[in-house]
Amino acid sequence: MSKCRIPLGPFHPLLEEAEFFDIKVEGEKVVDIEMETGWMHRGHEKISETRSYTQSIFLVERICGICSTSHPFAAVHAMEDIDNVEIPERAQYIRIFIGEMERIHSHLLWLGLAGHFIGYDTLWMWTWKYREPVLQIFEKVSGNRNHYAMFRVGGVGRDFDNALIPEIHPVLDMLEKKMLMLAGAVKDDPVLWSRLKGVGVLTKEDAINYCANGPTARASGVDIDVRRDDGLEYDLINFDVIVLPNGDVYDKLVLRVLEIIESVKIARQCLDAFPKVGGEYLNKVKHISPGEGIGRYEAPRGEVFHYIRSDGSNRPLRHKVRAPSFSNIPTYKASCVGIPLADALITLAAVDPCYCCTERSIRVIDEDNKKLEHNLLTMSREKTANLKKVVAGSEKTPIDRIFED
Amino acid sequence: MSDKSTEFFEKFQDKIAKIIKKPKRIYFNIKNEDLREISDYLFNTMGCRLSICTATEVYDGLEVLYHFSDDTTGIYYNPRVKTGLENPEINSITPLIEGANWIEREMYDLFGIKFKGHPDLKKLLTINNPHFSEDDHPMRFNRNRTKEK
Amino acid sequence: MAFYNKIIKKSIWVFHVSASPCNNCDIEILDLITPGYDIERFGIKLVGSVRHADVLLVTGIVSYKVAPRIKQLYEQAAKPIFVIGIGTCTAGGATFKTGYNAAGMPLEKIIPVNAYVTGCPPKPEAMIDGVLKLLGTLK
Repeated sequence: MSKCRIPLGPFHPLLEEAEFFDIKVEGEKVVDIEMETGWMHRGHEKISETRSYTQSIFLVERICGICSTSHPFAAVHAMEDIDNVEIPERAQYIRIFIGEMERIHSHLLWLGLAGHFIGYDTLWMWTWKYREPVLQIFEKVSGNRNHYAMFRVGGVGRDFDNALIPEIHPVLDMLEKKMLMLAGAVKDDPVLWSRLKGVGVLTKEDAINYCANGPTARASGVDIDVRRDDGLEYDLINFDVIVLPNGDVYDKLVLRVLEIIESVKIARQCLDAFPKVGGEYLNKVKHISPGEGIGRYEAPRGEVFHYIRSDGSNRPLRHKVRAPSFSNIPTYKASCVGIPLADALITLAAVDPCYCCTERSIRVIDEDNKKLEHNLLTMSREKTANLKKVVAGSEKTPIDRIFED
Repeated sequence: MSDKSTEFFEKFQDKIAKIIKKPKRIYFNIKNEDLREISDYLFNTMGCRLSICTATEVYDGLEVLYHFSDDTTGIYYNPRVKTGLENPEINSITPLIEGANWIEREMYDLFGIKFKGHPDLKKLLTINNPHFSEDDHPMRFNRNRTKEK
Repeated sequence: MAFYNKIIKKSIWVFHVSASPCNNCDIEILDLITPGYDIERFGIKLVGSVRHADVLLVTGIVSYKVAPRIKQLYEQAAKPIFVIGIGTCTAGGATFKTGYNAAGMPLEKIIPVNAYVTGCPPKPEAMIDGVLKLLGTLK
């Protein structure tokens, strides 16, 4: 059968960021996929070498507007790793609180966009409606809706106002209630089920071989979570790492819903701790000695990695940034091949790709576009019949476990 | 220090130099010829994940630091490979670890390090960018700014 | 022109293009069309093609790779089109101005610009205000 090349991007109405995919299809099936990066490249690593350590924190915050706490979090870890700086306990709780609230808003954002990608705009509008109060909390706590600028080497730059606690609790209660509702809706919704179940499977072997991390790996049964493995601040908190076995898009969606509920629990623990833990919130660090440091943090999308090499001056000699999407995006080679074109987009979106973080994009090469030889009508009928079987055969889902408790 | 780690350092005793040990972070120098063997052991036998690699330009050459993360203990193993400033070349580990594909392309792009054995070594970030020529590697100190005015 | 200006104020169609931003302005623009702000109340709508748009929102520093595409997009648009640069990046490069891949600082180097809404990121209210102020200058 003849192959078609379908260019997607770089400025596609569905994609928020410029990215370019070159999808080769045979009939309706994706047989190969290529990606061209570089549209978003801004050269952070080079700019960071010209900035002081404190300025670097603000710079890395602007790598990505969605995970704008994760990058400073990992960067200050790397700087503290060089000298083993102690962090005051109050600062640790503030860091965790900001990090978890960010996870909530990022996962809600992804859920909405996932709904948008499969043409389910109701889900999009609902989740973004619940996301708005989270951003308002950020504005109250840090002064800005997106770039919070809370992090400093040795603590946080701004204290948490305890008077805000009674205002935040109702929002967390609302979020938990709505997430349980959403979990129920996901479980019962035949549209989501038939559109996402068994689509774009990333097997455990592939996840390990592509060095995937974060929700992408956890939904494929790989048990990694930097919050637990690296310890540091998160040793103060009790939480579960959610791991699901199947590796399809449905599991990734369910995993993110469950993680929001887990994050709400962590945020509550922080709020309970704030009145008890007082005192300093910043341990002033005036000098970073020569050496190397590695810092990492579990961003909403996976492991953020920062490596800083210092020569004892006030600027980093080398500042390496690895965003989670850098490891996760290449898994499209394993998950997208062999699935229908209509499912490819949601599969590409399922790793929650952040091209700003990755600083890259895609391109298309022209070839003779020939007419499809397949009878599209027959194929479409077959697909509908298959979906009906799948929905009818559905049994207990992983999401049931939150209703069993 | 876990058993796995002790076993690793005993096995490769003569191939490893200049070990710097910190809590949860271990840096050591290896030679280019031993890179594949050591990466294979770390990735397949010890079950480490290749987090990323960092290339750095230092005064006497380029060095590439591989970051292998042992997710069961939280320890980072960081083998360091050195190469010269002229025609830098290092063995590719992409045939062993698929996850190293993009980062090797990125290091080729930004630093001009050639990876021997890489299946598809082309630029990653400045590819098809009209501002950067094929031999312009923007992270190098002596950049070849052929296309700039 | 006066007739056009009268019509355009009633229903503005907006095309959003992200030219190497940090994503933050982009999600704030998307925030505008979701229930929190819901600008469709004012007849402002995000459209899928620049050929349908009256206003072009550009975010980011415009890297050398994206710059020719932005020019192409501008040429494809039906004139008159109003270009608004969202975020400090388009106006002055913000923290990226020393980077090696920043072509459009300010955005006027690439395409004509009618207004800038600065901030990192600007609040959604500021964006609505920017669009409305621009339209207020039309006679």
